Amino acid sequence: MRRIRHTTLFILSSILFLFLLLINLAFGSVHIPFKDIFQIVFMHSSDSTACSIIWKIRLPRILFASLSGAYLSVGGLLLQVFFRNPIVGPYVLGISAGATLMVGIVMLLGISIGLAGIHPFYISLAAAFGAFCVTALLVALSAKVKDIVTLLVIGLMMGYLCYAVTSILITFAAKEKVKGFVLWQMGSFSGVVWKEFYILLFSALFLSILLSIIKKPLNAFLLGEEYAKTMGVNIKLLRNLIVIISSLLAGLVTAFAGPVAFIGIAVPHMARLLFKTSDNGILIPASAILGADVTVLCDLVARLLMSPVELPISAITALFGAPVVIFLLLKRRATI
Amino acid sequence: MRSVLKTEELCVGYGKKEIVSGISQEIIKGQFVSILGPNGSGKTTILKTLAKVIAPLRGRIYINGLLLDRLSSKEVAKNLSVVLTERPSPGLLTAFEFVALGRYPYTDIFGRLTEKDKEKIKEALQLVNAKELSERYFGELSDGERQKLVIARAIAQEPEIIILDEPTIHLDPKNKIELLGILYRLSKKKGVTVLVSLHDIDVASRISDLVLLVKEGRIIDFGPPEKVINQERIAQLYDLKDVHFNSKLYTFELLKNNKRKDIFVIAGAGTGTPLYRTLLRHGFGIVTGIIHENDIDFHVANSMKVEVVSERAFQKIGKNTLKKAFSFIAHAKAVIDSDFPVGSFNRENIDLIHYAIKKEKKAYTLRKKKEAYELYGNLSKKLIYLNDVYSFLEERR
Repeated sequence: MRRIRHTTLFILSSILFLFLLLINLAFGSVHIPFKDIFQIVFMHSSDSTACSIIWKIRLPRILFASLSGAYLSVGGLLLQVFFRNPIVGPYVLGISAGATLMVGIVMLLGISIGLAGIHPFYISLAAAFGAFCVTALLVALSAKVKDIVTLLVIGLMMGYLCYAVTSILITFAAKEKVKGFVLWQMGSFSGVVWKEFYILLFSALFLSILLSIIKKPLNAFLLGEEYAKTMGVNIKLLRNLIVIISSLLAGLVTAFAGPVAFIGIAVPHMARLLFKTSDNGILIPASAILGADVTVLCDLVARLLMSPVELPISAITALFGAPVVIFLLLKRRATI
Repeated sequence: MRSVLKTEELCVGYGKKEIVSGISQEIIKGQFVSILGPNGSGKTTILKTLAKVIAPLRGRIYINGLLLDRLSSKEVAKNLSVVLTERPSPGLLTAFEFVALGRYPYTDIFGRLTEKDKEKIKEALQLVNAKELSERYFGELSDGERQKLVIARAIAQEPEIIILDEPTIHLDPKNKIELLGILYRLSKKKGVTVLVSLHDIDVASRISDLVLLVKEGRIIDFGPPEKVINQERIAQLYDLKDVHFNSKLYTFELLKNNKRKDIFVIAGAGTGTPLYRTLLRHGFGIVTGIIHENDIDFHVANSMKVEVVSERAFQKIGKNTLKKAFSFIAHAKAVIDSDFPVGSFNRENIDLIHYAIKKEKKAYTLRKKKEAYELYGNLSKKLIYLNDVYSFLEERR
C-alpha cells in the first residue's frame, strides 16, 4: 500500500515538474509557443531570438532553479532530522547568512586583494566555505548544548552577526560593487549561466553518493543521539558528514542565487505529509523533487507577477512558504 | 555457566563527577537482573556506561570476556541492545519500520533489509504481542503499545544482553505486567541476559534472579531477592520511616496502627486483612487475634504494625495465648467477628466472643444471623449484625 502511494507520488511530482518546466520555458516577457520550444530544445532549430532566449536564458535558469530547490530542501531535511526540530533550515540557522558574508567578502573586497573579474567558481567556494563555518560551529555546539532552543537561538544570533559584518562591508565598499552584491543578496535566479548550472550538477553527483550512505544512520538518528549510539552509529562521522553535506547544499545555492528563504523549511514538511513517512530513504528523493517543483513554480511567479519587473525569489518563497509551514504545523499529527 | 557481563572496580559518572564507584559484579547468561535504588542514585548512569553511551571514569567492563573499550560500536550493538528512559518519537514511521531500525548493525551500507532481517523483525513483533500493530504509525499508538515496540526494536537487534532503564514507568498495571512478562520469557526462553532498572520492588523481587541495590554512589547489596530484599535493606535503600515493607509478601503498607487498641478484630484466613485496612484508614486503633503465624492476616497485620495475638503454625490455641487475648478484649471497647472460618485449630476464637459479651463489650459480627446462631447459640442474640465493615463505620460515627 505504502509503496504504491510513494510510487504514485513520485510519478505525479515528476510529471508536475516537466509541466512546470515547459510553462517556464514558454512564458516570460517574450511568449514562445510550445511547438517552437520542442523544435528549439530537441532539434536546435535556430530561430535566432527565441532560440537564444531558450538556450541562453530560460533553460539554464530553470534547470539551475530546480536543482537549487532540490538542494535547499534536502539540506533543510538533513538539518531537521539532525537537530530534531521541525523549524530549522539553512536560512533559520544562519547558514545562509554565513554564506552571504563570505560572498560579500569576495565580491566587495575582491578587487582590493587583486582578483580581476570574479569567476563564479570563487563565489561558490566562498559561499560553501561560509556555510561550512556556521554549520560546523552549530554542529560542534550541538554536542555540548543539548537544548535545541538554545541552539536555535545561537543559530539566529550567528545569522545576525554575519549580516552585521556584511552590512559594515557594504558601507565601506565601492558603489558599483555594492549594487551587484545587494541585487545578489535579494536572491534571484536571473542571469544564471550554464557554467553555474554545471557546478551544481557536478556536485549533485558527488552529493547523491553521500546522501545514499547517510540515509541509514540518519534514520537511526530519528530515535535520538543516544539510541543511535547504542545501535552502532558512528556519531562523529555522521556529524561531520552532516556538516559537509548541508553546508555544500546551502552554500552552492546561495553562491549564485543569493540567500533563498523558506524552501529549506517548508518542503521537507510537505514531503513528510504527502508521503506520510519519516523514512529518510523516501524523504530525501521526495524533498528533492518537491523542492524542484516548488522552486520552479516560485521562480515563475517571481518573473510573471509584476512582469517585466522581476521580484526577488525570497519574497515569493516566503509568501508561499510561511503560510504553508503554519498550516502544515497546525495540521500535522506527529513531528519528525 | 558463561559470564556475559562483568565489571571490575568500575566507577561511573560524568566528567569529573563520580556518581557510582566500586562496581565489581558478574552476570551470567540468561539471568534476569534488576537494579533498585532511589531516584538520583545513579542507576541510569550505570546502565548508560555498560551500554557504552558514556565512558566509564575508571575500571573495566567485559562483555563475553572481551573488554568493552576494545569493541567497535557496531560489535557492541550486536551483543547488547538498550531501552532508554528517553521516549523516542519518530512520528511517521510504521511499527514495522521502527522495529526494523534494530537491524542497523546487520544491514548493508544502504540499510537494505534482507529476507532474514524481515523474519527477525516479524519475530520480534510477535514476541511482544504486537504483530497486529505492524502497519500502524508509531505516533498514533498508546504509551503501552509504543513501549512494546521499543522493546521489540531492542530484541530485533539480536543482543545477548538487553539493558532497560525504567521501562515500566508511565505504564498502567496491565501493560506493566505484560511487559515484564515479555522480558522474563526473553531471559528464560531465549537465554538473553536482562538488566533492568525498576521502581517496583514487588515485581522485581518476584521475577529477578539477582537484585542490585544502589544508593548514594555505591552498591549496597547484590544477590538473589530472597537474600537481599528485606525490611531493613529496603528501609535503608529508600530512607523509609513511616512505611513498612513486608519481605514475605513483597508489599508496602503505608497505614499505621495508632496507640489506643479500642477494637479487637477476631480474624483468620485472610478475613481480617480488609478490615484492618478500612479500620486503620479511618483512624481506629486495633488489635487482632487469635491468628496462626502461617496466616496471611498475620503477615498483613504485622506489616501494618497491628498487634497480633498469635499462635504458632498448625498448633491448637494454647491457654496462655487465650489469656492474652482476653486481657486485650478486657481493655478494648468493641470486638468484631470477621466471619473467619472455624476449625479445630481455632475454636477458641469463639470463646473470645463469649468473653466479650460477658464483659459487656459491644460485639459485632459480619456473619449471617443463622450462621451465628449455629456457632454461638443463644448468645448470638446479643451480637450486633453488620452487612460489611462500612456499616460498622456508620455505627461508630
